[in-house]
Amino acid sequence: MINWQAFAWLRPRWAKALADVVGNRVRLLLVVASIAVGLFAVGMIATMHYMLSEDMTASYEQVNPANIYLYTTPFETKFVDSVRRMPEVKDAQAERTFSVRLRSGKDEWTRINVKAVADMESMSINRVRVLEGKWPPGDKEIVFDRHKLESAHIAVGDMVEVRLADDTLREMKCVGVVQDQTIGAVGAGGYFLADLQAYVSDDTLQWLGQTPGWNVLLVTAAENAYDEAYLHVLAEKIVDRVERNDHLVMNRVVRRRDDHPNMVYVEAMSGTLFALGFLVVFLSAFLITNTLMALLNQQVEQIGVMKTVGAKRRQVISVYMVLILTFSLLGLMISLAFSGRAAYRLLEFLSKDLNIIPQGYRREPGAILLQVLIALVVPQLAGAFPVLRAAMLSVQEAFNGAWLLKSSDEVKWLDFFITRLHLPRPLLISLRNTFRRKGRLALTLITLAMGGAMFIATFNVRSSMQTLIHTLSRYFIADVNLTMERPYRLEDISRVLTTIPEVGQFEAWAGARAEILDENGEPGETVNLMAPPAESALIEPVMLKGRWLLPGDQNAIVLSELFLSNFPDIEVGDTIRLRVNGKDTTWVVVGFFQFAGKAARYVAYADYTYLSQLTHQVGKSYSYRIIAARPLKTIEEQKQLGQILETVLNRYGYQVNDISPGLWLLQSATTGLDMLVIFLLIMAALAALVGSIGLTGTLSMNVLERTREIAVMRAIGASDRIVMQLVIVEGVLIGMIGWFLGCLVAFPISQGLWVVISTALFGVSAEFTVDATGFVLWIFVVLILSLLASILPARNAARMTIREALAYE
Amino acid sequence: MAIGCCTLAEDQQVLPGGERQPLLELHEVVKTYPTAQGDFMALKGISADFYAGEFVGILGKSGAGKTTLINMITGVDRITSGEVLAMGVSMHALGEDQAARWRGKNMGIVFQTFRLMPTLSLVNNVRLPVDFCGAYQPRASFARALALLESMEMSEHALKLPSQISGGQQQRVAIARALANDPPIIVADEPTGRLDSATSAIIMRIFERLAREGKLVLMATHDFSIAQYFSRRLEIADGVLVADSGRVGG
Repeated sequence: MINWQAFAWLRPRWAKALADVVGNRVRLLLVVASIAVGLFAVGMIATMHYMLSEDMTASYEQVNPANIYLYTTPFETKFVDSVRRMPEVKDAQAERTFSVRLRSGKDEWTRINVKAVADMESMSINRVRVLEGKWPPGDKEIVFDRHKLESAHIAVGDMVEVRLADDTLREMKCVGVVQDQTIGAVGAGGYFLADLQAYVSDDTLQWLGQTPGWNVLLVTAAENAYDEAYLHVLAEKIVDRVERNDHLVMNRVVRRRDDHPNMVYVEAMSGTLFALGFLVVFLSAFLITNTLMALLNQQVEQIGVMKTVGAKRRQVISVYMVLILTFSLLGLMISLAFSGRAAYRLLEFLSKDLNIIPQGYRREPGAILLQVLIALVVPQLAGAFPVLRAAMLSVQEAFNGAWLLKSSDEVKWLDFFITRLHLPRPLLISLRNTFRRKGRLALTLITLAMGGAMFIATFNVRSSMQTLIHTLSRYFIADVNLTMERPYRLEDISRVLTTIPEVGQFEAWAGARAEILDENGEPGETVNLMAPPAESALIEPVMLKGRWLLPGDQNAIVLSELFLSNFPDIEVGDTIRLRVNGKDTTWVVVGFFQFAGKAARYVAYADYTYLSQLTHQVGKSYSYRIIAARPLKTIEEQKQLGQILETVLNRYGYQVNDISPGLWLLQSATTGLDMLVIFLLIMAALAALVGSIGLTGTLSMNVLERTREIAVMRAIGASDRIVMQLVIVEGVLIGMIGWFLGCLVAFPISQGLWVVISTALFGVSAEFTVDATGFVLWIFVVLILSLLASILPARNAARMTIREALAYE
Repeated sequence: MAIGCCTLAEDQQVLPGGERQPLLELHEVVKTYPTAQGDFMALKGISADFYAGEFVGILGKSGAGKTTLINMITGVDRITSGEVLAMGVSMHALGEDQAARWRGKNMGIVFQTFRLMPTLSLVNNVRLPVDFCGAYQPRASFARALALLESMEMSEHALKLPSQISGGQQQRVAIARALANDPPIIVADEPTGRLDSATSAIIMRIFERLAREGKLVLMATHDFSIAQYFSRRLEIADGVLVADSGRVGG
């Protein structure tokens, strides 16, 4: 005996809403998938954004990052104690940093940065995380940071050979691998341009040719560690103390406690990705509108019945709003189940490139709240129009179907046009079917076109990035960048270089570290100041404003784009004050050039002769840039030239500090941009998914609504193949129109996206280029999608018996 | 089994002088439809009064105006001129929502195509009018719906979907739904149009019983063979009331 009363609690109207939810599995799948995809996109991006910001800050804070770095002449440990006793200082640490060269091939040497800390065991500032082996390194042992370690082909237990400044060779055992999140915190070029980092014990320093004493003072602030202005003031105070102790400060860097060196990439990504995520939500809203319109078309009679038995408009609306809400909650459940995990997987994937330590998977309340809000609002808004329209129908209109006829089937212009085309009959029917439901077609095409435009835009943005990388290569024209151990006379080096047949041309460049002085004369940010000779052939700058250096320029300076965004008041013609080699100097800004974005920090170019005079290096240079006699295409070829140069220079007694192939510099400078492309491709995949759901939905709805028509066609002899063909051709036709429209929309969308991304990365919009790849790939994707999307409805149509089809109501 | 909460024949307002007030009054009802050839007059001034306990057959051939007249009575379509007073209320003066509410409470409608909610169980189909405009109480409405289905000999199918039962059975459920709010007036438009003669007979006997219990039952049909069931017969041709067998009782 059935217990009827058990079913009494649910009001019939809600029972109807729920029954409609599960009544049609294809529809349920389409609507829930549409909602879930949009929510997933935003959920994943929001989770990613929160997790990345939190993990980056948290994992960076865990290493107790230095707020102030002072590069000085050697000092003793007791001086550190005196700094530590300052009330504003929480902690201080002494380090010794220097460069040696690591054997990376038979005759190949790579510059590495070596660091030793006073008490490595209890290192309190800029702590490292041990990934493998032991820490701290013992006497004559070496530990490496993992960044760029792979390219050096070194593993724990290996013996490595280093070459000191005086060409002494030392063998050391690699005993461990660590992760140091502060890499890139100092020095121009940031994380991606930083040299391989190694650590040795203080006992090993002398064996590695280092004089006694420390040369870097790290300080953490007792308070206001997140206030950059305060940290500059504190830095100045400590510099005073250093100088009072007869030490010279060569360079200083100030960093907030939460300012991870790679934060710039996260900031650049976030805004763009949020915009794309919301675009996916917008598209999924279109799908919801489309599906609900179809659902309500099928339910018009039921609405009439509800009104006949006493339902007010409000009640009819509430039935369908509960239906939408149920769809939303199902979509939300799917999104919540997967978006967080997907975001964390992505975070783990990117954590190595971003040099952060993922802090473990957790739910992000902000991201969940955002998904819940969108789930509660967007589908309801998307459904509001069709629901209101249906609820406004009078009983009479609902019963006689006049409303349905009004919105469909009237395609006289098309009939006029296609009857003049000599196409096979089934194709004509498909063509006409495509345009029968104009509203639905429009929404499907918008979704497909926007999805396609996003897909194509991703490739255009990637291409624009490649163009940008190519543009940046104009700053790295030299095949080999040679840094000498000390400044040698230009004349002497030139004499040697001209004897090498592989060398085509070369230039001596000057360089210095400088600090920007504020209006009170207090030094702030560090600038990498470079000085090519007048009319250098080895640099072709991309000017944003003003002009490049001219022969005869004295204190003229050209600044990178970061100055434009961080010092918006500086204009061409203004003066800027820099402390160069401890001397306060005034420069006239003659222009701004585009470089590798914010991550490359502050870069400036000045006149070679003028800077040489300032640094008392007239006629001498540390840095030489060489072009091969024949064009070199690969890093390997450039490395080979570097080896030849070093061998010859060594033979003449000149000591080389570093040899960097130009292409390697370019590659390192642009590695960070790859991460953006990964994100964009994920977005493109989601956009494609939304497009395909839209197409499948439309075709399924079209087939469902034409069931009777299909039955009639079958009754008069249409075969399974013809019925399937009709649906598939219609699907492909919609796909192709969507592709064409997508191509048109792709232009403004790509350009807008690139402006946003390049502005976020570089502070200004960079050159936009169009890549055919996206357009071509999308036509294949659309073809495959439209075939896949139409196969299911086509099979359903073909499988339907005439009796079933005619019984459909 | 009496399925109303009370019989309207007892309940009905009686005018001074002992005469009962009609439940439904049609005064010169005219309906015209605009067509490409000009206005088409579907109803040409129909007047009639209907009383509780009457089982009225509105007979006529296809296109005579029966369904149009039913639509005027139920208020689902607007009259062009004239007046329809149902229990003293001018249906066409009400707004859409008011009309829906009034209809839900006072008028049960039965269609030729049954028009049951395909995704709702039979019992929930019957409960739907109570949900929308009755004094809804979950258990009471359930019990009442079951009682109505019982009276239609359909209670054993209560949890089935409409698609799982026959056309005749669906029509019985549709009648049960029409009775859900215990309305004094039942309007049926060709309710036997899709049924075989045996099933039609069952349905007609149900309507007969409802009229006996005091409901005013109005039924449009083109099937003159079932005319014997009606207590009163109105014949319509070309939108004009051509015959009225007159009030029974009065």
